[in-house]
Amino acid sequence: MTGQEAIRSWFGRRVKENMDALYGVALRLTGSGADAEDLVAESVTKAWSSIETLDDRSRFRPWVFRILRNCFISGYRKQSIRPTESAYYEGGCQDEGDVVSLLNEQPDEFLCWWANPEREFFNNVLGETIISAIAGLPEAFRVTVLLVNVEGLTYDEAAEALGVPAGTVRSRMKRGRTMLQKALWLQAQDAGLINPNGGNGFVQ
Amino acid sequence: MNKDEQDTDRMDMGCLEAIEALYAYLDGELKDPKSIEDFEHHMSHCRSCYSRADIENLLTDRLRTASGSHASERLKKRLRNLIDEF
Repeated sequence: MTGQEAIRSWFGRRVKENMDALYGVALRLTGSGADAEDLVAESVTKAWSSIETLDDRSRFRPWVFRILRNCFISGYRKQSIRPTESAYYEGGCQDEGDVVSLLNEQPDEFLCWWANPEREFFNNVLGETIISAIAGLPEAFRVTVLLVNVEGLTYDEAAEALGVPAGTVRSRMKRGRTMLQKALWLQAQDAGLINPNGGNGFVQ
Repeated sequence: MNKDEQDTDRMDMGCLEAIEALYAYLDGELKDPKSIEDFEHHMSHCRSCYSRADIENLLTDRLRTASGSHASERLKKRLRNLIDEF
């Protein structure tokens, strides 16, 4: 086997191992199975054509996720009508570790519930409800939460994949998860599943 | 100094600091042993923060289950063909 064939064989194995993860993230980015498949195929082609930029083979996952996201930004997002992150949220990203401002942005009823959320509600949260809540997150937060919580990337790997500092990943995780819980809270309120004045505690 | 005395003397981090550290702890990103110890100490006596952490874990499990996707056989074949042509 030539050197090039060996690299191609290794590349093929790594793509196969990460196929579900690549498709999963592509699906949440594009919102369509067909677009997600096209995005993965385009990303794999792009990855192979720039294989020489992968200096450390152990960093394949963040490297290929970064290519996927770049392909999405350069192509699919231009055609998309899905909401992207607002200046408000981008400002929040730069505000590393400021939990006080994060809490100040939330309504009091949500903070009361957030401090003591009802476990029974979360036990009964359906998959579609979570999918709908995650789909409503601004893209930067959605992809960060997916890479870390669903695909299991470390903050460093996610930072590499997204081309941002690790501190921004940390900040996006806090905000993204808070937004996710708030979206679930609003959905549960609308469905009459929780008491809008519920919660019996508050952050000290 | 015994363990109880050490616990009594320890400065508690407080809820705001605990929330600040919560996701890093749950995501395995809190590396400093002292920070981990302080966080776990706070969790051991703060019902509100413990409840938050419990729900966050549950939500992560639900998120992982709901968001996990499988590439179709069509996509697998398409990628195999692509790579064969490289």
